[in-house]
Amino acid sequence: MDLAANVAPVGAPAVPGNRGIWVGILCEMSEFALMFLAWAWFRHGHPEDFRAGPAMLNAGAGVANTAVMLTSGYFAVRALLAIRRDDAIAARNWLVAALLGGLTFLLIKALEFRWNIEHGVVGTGNSFVAMYYYLTFNHLVHVVWGCLGLIWAILRAQFGAYGAADHEGLEAAVLYWHATDLAWIVIFPLLYVLH
Amino acid sequence: MMNIDESRATTVWLGLLALTLGSAWLGEGVFPPGLTAAVVALIVGVKGLLVIRHYMGLTEPGSRLRLAVRLYFVVVPALILVSAALGG
Repeated sequence: MDLAANVAPVGAPAVPGNRGIWVGILCEMSEFALMFLAWAWFRHGHPEDFRAGPAMLNAGAGVANTAVMLTSGYFAVRALLAIRRDDAIAARNWLVAALLGGLTFLLIKALEFRWNIEHGVVGTGNSFVAMYYYLTFNHLVHVVWGCLGLIWAILRAQFGAYGAADHEGLEAAVLYWHATDLAWIVIFPLLYVLH
Repeated sequence: MMNIDESRATTVWLGLLALTLGSAWLGEGVFPPGLTAAVVALIVGVKGLLVIRHYMGLTEPGSRLRLAVRLYFVVVPALILVSAALGG
């Protein structure tokens, strides 16, 4: 049975998850679109700050966090594939792995912020650094929301709420996690790569 | 033993990691800024479209939602190119 069809009007194309989570995802993507416009605006106005900016950052932390986000997203996909074949235990385990990825992202980000402070990368007097904290703090908040969603899905999976025929909540949590991944796919090159 | 969906997801994940390493290498300044921006914009677009299709499962032909989300990963790379062209 196609669960998405249950929440879509008759004749409308089915969407993964449910319509509510897509409202949230599109709001998040719009919010980040405005931040990317702000990045372009400030980059145009302060080219010297942005040309020198990426070299000020810990590129290794940026690469590591990108790999962690993508890997965590892969684990989330495996959770969805597991529940579709009605393997709730495997789905829960993959969700736990995805959550550990999210927590690792937060840990690396905390270590990166500490490294920044030790190396004088603080958000005063430099447009690039201000934009770096603006983008990364906002993304970090969305990672925390995503982790909370994964925790909720793990608890529901643990208590047998999901199966092959009914896993809309799990799919919604996974979709939100991927949306957070999408934002980081853009943020990483804007801050760590483009000189 | 993985089934075909799991194998595809694994291949996409490895591809995304490879593209990330490619981006990081570009950050070393091996190419002129304009070329770097063009390749970075391409990589952002490809990574976004891969996640949208293979991770989020937006595959419904004619879906306005799929169109809107995919368009995002055309507009954002274009923003990177415009920013580079303006000499930022």
